[in-house]
Amino acid sequence: MSALLRYALARVVARRGRALLTAGGIAAAAAMLGAGTTVGYSLATGFDRAADRAGLPHAIARFDSLPLDEVRRRALSLPNVETASFRLEQQGVHVHSEGNFNDHGKLQGIRGGRRGYAIVAGRDVRARGELVIERGLEREWGVELGDVVDLREFRSSVSLRVVGVAVSPDNVAFPLTNGPRLYADYDDVRELEGEAPGAVNVALLWVQDTELLDVTLAQARAASFGIDELTFVTRDGIRALINQAAGIVIALLVAFSLVAVGAAVTMLSAASAADVQRRLPSIGVLRTLGATPRAVAVGNALEAALVALPAGLVGIVAGALAVYGPTGRLLDALSELGPGVALVLPLAGCLLGLVAIVAFAAGWPAWRAASRPPVATLGGADIVQVPRRAVFGGGTVGLGVRLALSRPARAAGTIAVLASAAAVVLLMLALAALLQRLETDPGTVGKRYRLTVAAPAEEVARIERVPGIAGAAVRYETPAADSFSLGETFQVIGFDGDHVEFEAPPLAAGRRLARDDEVEVGLGLAQALNLSPGATLAAQLPSGREVRFRVSGVVRALENEGRIAYVRAARLVAAEPFLPVRIAILIAPGATKESVAQRLSSSGYFPEPVAGVTVRSGGFLDVLAALLRSLAGVIGLVCLYVLAQMLALTAQERRRTIAVLQTLGAGRRQVAAVLSGSALVVAVIGAGAGIVLERFLVGPAAASLAASYVSLPLVAGAAQAALVTVALVVLALVAAAWVGGSAARRPIVAGLREE
Amino acid sequence: MRSEPVLGERGPFADGRALKLPVVEARSLVKSYGVGRAARRVLDGVELRVEPGELLAVIGRSGSGKSTLLHLLGGLDRADEGSIRVAGVALEEQTQAGLTTLRRESVGFVFQSFHLLPELTGLENVLLPARLAGDGVGAIARARALIASLGLDEAAQRLPDTLSGGEQQRLAIARALVNEPVLVLADEPTGNLDVESAAVVLDLLRGIAGGGRSVVLVTHDREATAQADRVIELRDGRVL
Repeated sequence: MSALLRYALARVVARRGRALLTAGGIAAAAAMLGAGTTVGYSLATGFDRAADRAGLPHAIARFDSLPLDEVRRRALSLPNVETASFRLEQQGVHVHSEGNFNDHGKLQGIRGGRRGYAIVAGRDVRARGELVIERGLEREWGVELGDVVDLREFRSSVSLRVVGVAVSPDNVAFPLTNGPRLYADYDDVRELEGEAPGAVNVALLWVQDTELLDVTLAQARAASFGIDELTFVTRDGIRALINQAAGIVIALLVAFSLVAVGAAVTMLSAASAADVQRRLPSIGVLRTLGATPRAVAVGNALEAALVALPAGLVGIVAGALAVYGPTGRLLDALSELGPGVALVLPLAGCLLGLVAIVAFAAGWPAWRAASRPPVATLGGADIVQVPRRAVFGGGTVGLGVRLALSRPARAAGTIAVLASAAAVVLLMLALAALLQRLETDPGTVGKRYRLTVAAPAEEVARIERVPGIAGAAVRYETPAADSFSLGETFQVIGFDGDHVEFEAPPLAAGRRLARDDEVEVGLGLAQALNLSPGATLAAQLPSGREVRFRVSGVVRALENEGRIAYVRAARLVAAEPFLPVRIAILIAPGATKESVAQRLSSSGYFPEPVAGVTVRSGGFLDVLAALLRSLAGVIGLVCLYVLAQMLALTAQERRRTIAVLQTLGAGRRQVAAVLSGSALVVAVIGAGAGIVLERFLVGPAAASLAASYVSLPLVAGAAQAALVTVALVVLALVAAAWVGGSAARRPIVAGLREE
Repeated sequence: MRSEPVLGERGPFADGRALKLPVVEARSLVKSYGVGRAARRVLDGVELRVEPGELLAVIGRSGSGKSTLLHLLGGLDRADEGSIRVAGVALEEQTQAGLTTLRRESVGFVFQSFHLLPELTGLENVLLPARLAGDGVGAIARARALIASLGLDEAAQRLPDTLSGGEQQRLAIARALVNEPVLVLADEPTGNLDVESAAVVLDLLRGIAGGGRSVVLVTHDREATAQADRVIELRDGRVL
């Protein structure tokens, strides 16, 4: 083995240029692998890591404030509950610090017991006057330990000093949520709110057996007599909510990493095969001298491994570093924690896998060649494949096209990588565009009304008479839980009359509701509760009253992750008479939202515009954009490498062709033009294939993966497709100029002697 | 088949112009390969002059420096010492771009292995130098006439691997002539051909010289030397 190793080392040293080229290719593929692994692993494990470190409760109950003793007695009497903590929470607190302010702060008064959040800087609250802030606030506002934060609620206010920074994955982070989470001493919060001593309104529950959590919540609901506005959120529910966004990114990265590695293997195999073909006489000599096919193959594999190990290490580390920062910020936005040193293990696994693949790709063609009779290998062979027919023009660019197509397997491998890269980039662009539309265009989520006003139901007729209004309807909305599984919460939306005119997500199954006792459920709710047309939905309302509906149809609704139920208002209002009312307003053709809003204002109403999905996604988009930019850099690098590698192989194999061209008067530009033909044909076909791939496979798959409960239009537009095509063409021309310049500098006479 | 008249008519000096300078003038050419103990002086003070319309045959044993001399004359490689002028251009003063222009405009090459590009049809191979010179459209008529004069109309539509050696070499000669160079350098052009095809190729080269171009022919073939206006022999890098 040592002789083989020495021979392999000698060959690497003797052919430094070729070894460097191979190393560059391996490093590029490894960078993609490292980036994909870093993002994928970090996001896939981020929630569990943060939940474990924070000691996230299995369920969080919220209710109208009650004396602590009464809540504690009821909670701890539940059979499966291991322990519980109680807090006083106030939402909508005015938060002010260093010139920044927010009116939606969520302030929690902490008592003893488990916390449910992890301190990532400073320390926890120990006494009055101290405050722990969530990490999102620290990052967004630049608040530091020791700073003072002013909190105001109605006529009370308090100034607290920041002593710690916390992460809790019970919700995404500020500014992705509309208000920051703050943790203070219980008495500070109670005094700010003006609550009675001992009052609490949040219970954090940890259970002994998570399998029985549903049963425990049902028992809690049964024991909740006298507790108003009781709602539950479970850890699984939080995980599902937070991972919606990350799921797309993970799937994309894993898919692209696999394709990049596959392509790298294709290219390395092609390079190895070409190299082995060129070295057939020396392999024949080795065989004549008594080397076994295994020894020849192992020698080649060792040589490849010697190059792959350092190149792979550099590439994987570079890829991981390129996305580590943006991934960390994405995790911050999701209130999750980065993997730290735990990332080393999967990255090491990637490195070993990559080296093994490269070694195999190099050893296999050598073994096949060495298995032939030595006489056959001693003679060598021409590595130029003869085309079957002439296609495209016969000029320099046309010749390049033919050179590329004379190696169909290599061209296909290159096209596969470029197509997948194009598809991934197109998907990213489509995703970004969709997120923008979801935030700003209510039509994206099936809402046809553009304005709402808070007004009594009797005002509908008067509002309808305002010029520019095509119609108005009373709309009710209330949270509810499934009577049989109280952890499954959803929103019930009731319209007086036909809701389709105002709000109509597309039907996935069944029909529209036609009677007061029927309901259309969102696909997300149907999947969670296993509902289909004809089934019964038993909804427990905040008052504790239950109302039942027969499912008439299932709709693809995006809002609230598809956990939504459309009903006629009559039964809903009968069960919950004091539901808040909003009037939904349709704008007439020719009128604008702004003009109608102005007229409504002058009539004494306070109209509010309707948004798309009601999340503050601006910050999240920024974070996602930073991550995608990092990835786009790596993807661009991989594309450039794949094109350059293909051209370098072509130039290497067709050295005589290039020499003949130079003999006939081709300069550096013409050689580059020939190679640009080779690069352009794969780039253009790759871009086209990528567009088709994104439109018909990747886009629908990602949309389904991201939200199986809704039809997301994740298809890139013509401008985006043109942008990606132009980018690939530019990369192709850059690669051709690079490789062409290098090929034209080689001695012509040596090229003419090549066989 | 004899085709000298057509080839001759298309020569650069067919209008009767007289070129007073020699087409090739080489002085004290030295070229070595290898380093240290492996170093070998392939050309050692070669002097050479080729007149317009002359067919010069260069003979010598294997390794005597014949092909190296041809490469230096064509600007494919540079001499270590000495000077070369081709069509009045001093090669040692030229950049790589200048040598490229010289090859494109003034020199045509014919090789033993033909070196037709397998991806291009016969016609496309013939047109290639013109396309490299940016004269793809204008050269089509010229290329077709050359091909017709060589009796290669049918072969010109096919890819080279389906053609005989003789057909391939005649196409290579047409390719060498399409840009109407003053000098044609032929390196063992009959080495891979049967006797009949070799005779046709030699007739063609004779015809090219008859049309006013200069031809330098490196060969082992005694028949070839019989067609030459002048024969020189290289031995140990020197002209005997």
